[in-house]
Amino acid sequence: MSLHSAASHTDGAAAKAATVQTRDWLVASAAVIVALIALYAVFVDNGSLISATGGYLHEFAHDGRHLFGAPCH
Amino acid sequence: MPSPVLPLLGRGLVAGAAAGLAAGLFSLLLAEPLMDRAIRAEEKRSAAQEHARGMHGTAQHHEELFARSTQHAGLVVTAVVAGLAVGVLFAVAYALVHRRDPRAAPWPRALVFAGAAFAAVSLLPGLRYPANPPGVGDSATVGERQALWLASVAIGVLGMFLVRQVYVRLSARAAPVRQIGAALTGVAVLAALFLLPDNPDPVPVDAELLWDFRVLSVASHALLWAVLAAVFGGLGLRAVRGGAARGVIAGARAAGVPSRPGAAPGTSPTAPPP
Repeated sequence: MSLHSAASHTDGAAAKAATVQTRDWLVASAAVIVALIALYAVFVDNGSLISATGGYLHEFAHDGRHLFGAPCH
Repeated sequence: MPSPVLPLLGRGLVAGAAAGLAAGLFSLLLAEPLMDRAIRAEEKRSAAQEHARGMHGTAQHHEELFARSTQHAGLVVTAVVAGLAVGVLFAVAYALVHRRDPRAAPWPRALVFAGAAFAAVSLLPGLRYPANPPGVGDSATVGERQALWLASVAIGVLGMFLVRQVYVRLSARAAPVRQIGAALTGVAVLAALFLLPDNPDPVPVDAELLWDFRVLSVASHALLWAVLAAVFGGLGLRAVRGGAARGVIAGARAAGVPSRPGAAPGTSPTAPPP
């Protein structure tokens, strides 16, 4: 969607603006992915995501899960 | 013209951290005593079961990994991590929904957006699958319960989006038409939510404790969204004022490019929120 905004500008500025737009939305997408992984780790994971942590992550987040209504063992 | 998504993302992170901290401290003070009581009651129950059957009950806790005090700290850390993540999702969703005019009306929009998010992510799933204190939850059914819970969150989010879409699409119609349309959509979303199977686990908890815990759970959710909205909206207001103060040239340049022509149809900046 951001690429279209370039159409009405002069070529150089337009290309630059489009690059900046694309870069910013890529950063935003990466942030969304990290956020979803964090939410999964805290509220859903049962030791399978990072097997090294075993049940530790789950148990550390235990009270938060119950409080926010996420299913717990 | 740089994309406004990064400043929004920054505001989302700050607002999310503050919101998570507020909700974490609130629940540390008010909900932890209840959770400790629930765990003590559960220990008594499983001890009695063990004694009666000469074996372990299925619903027992694996709390040997951490002391309760560590889990108390874990509650606050969990809330802050969740707040940060929710702040990011909030900011990006906000940037997408308001992509035509991302700088306008930061305060009322933040409040409305957070209210809608509270209903979609917290209230609706919480109505279908209310929070349970520790001691409730069979590890044999946790996968099923997680699937149901995630489905309820998905229905909440999609449902809120649908209600807004209906309202926006009907914006040319008379107010009663679009309001009844949006309300009927909301009822359909509720129906879909309650068509999901029930939580399979028994809830052998004292009714008063259960009620208090569930109220505190919803209150923690509400506090999280309220603080998120206030900080996000406040930072947006500050950015608008700062931008106005920084100079006429920058302001004029920004005003010369009021909206992005490539923005997708379907969301009108003048359309009222859901």
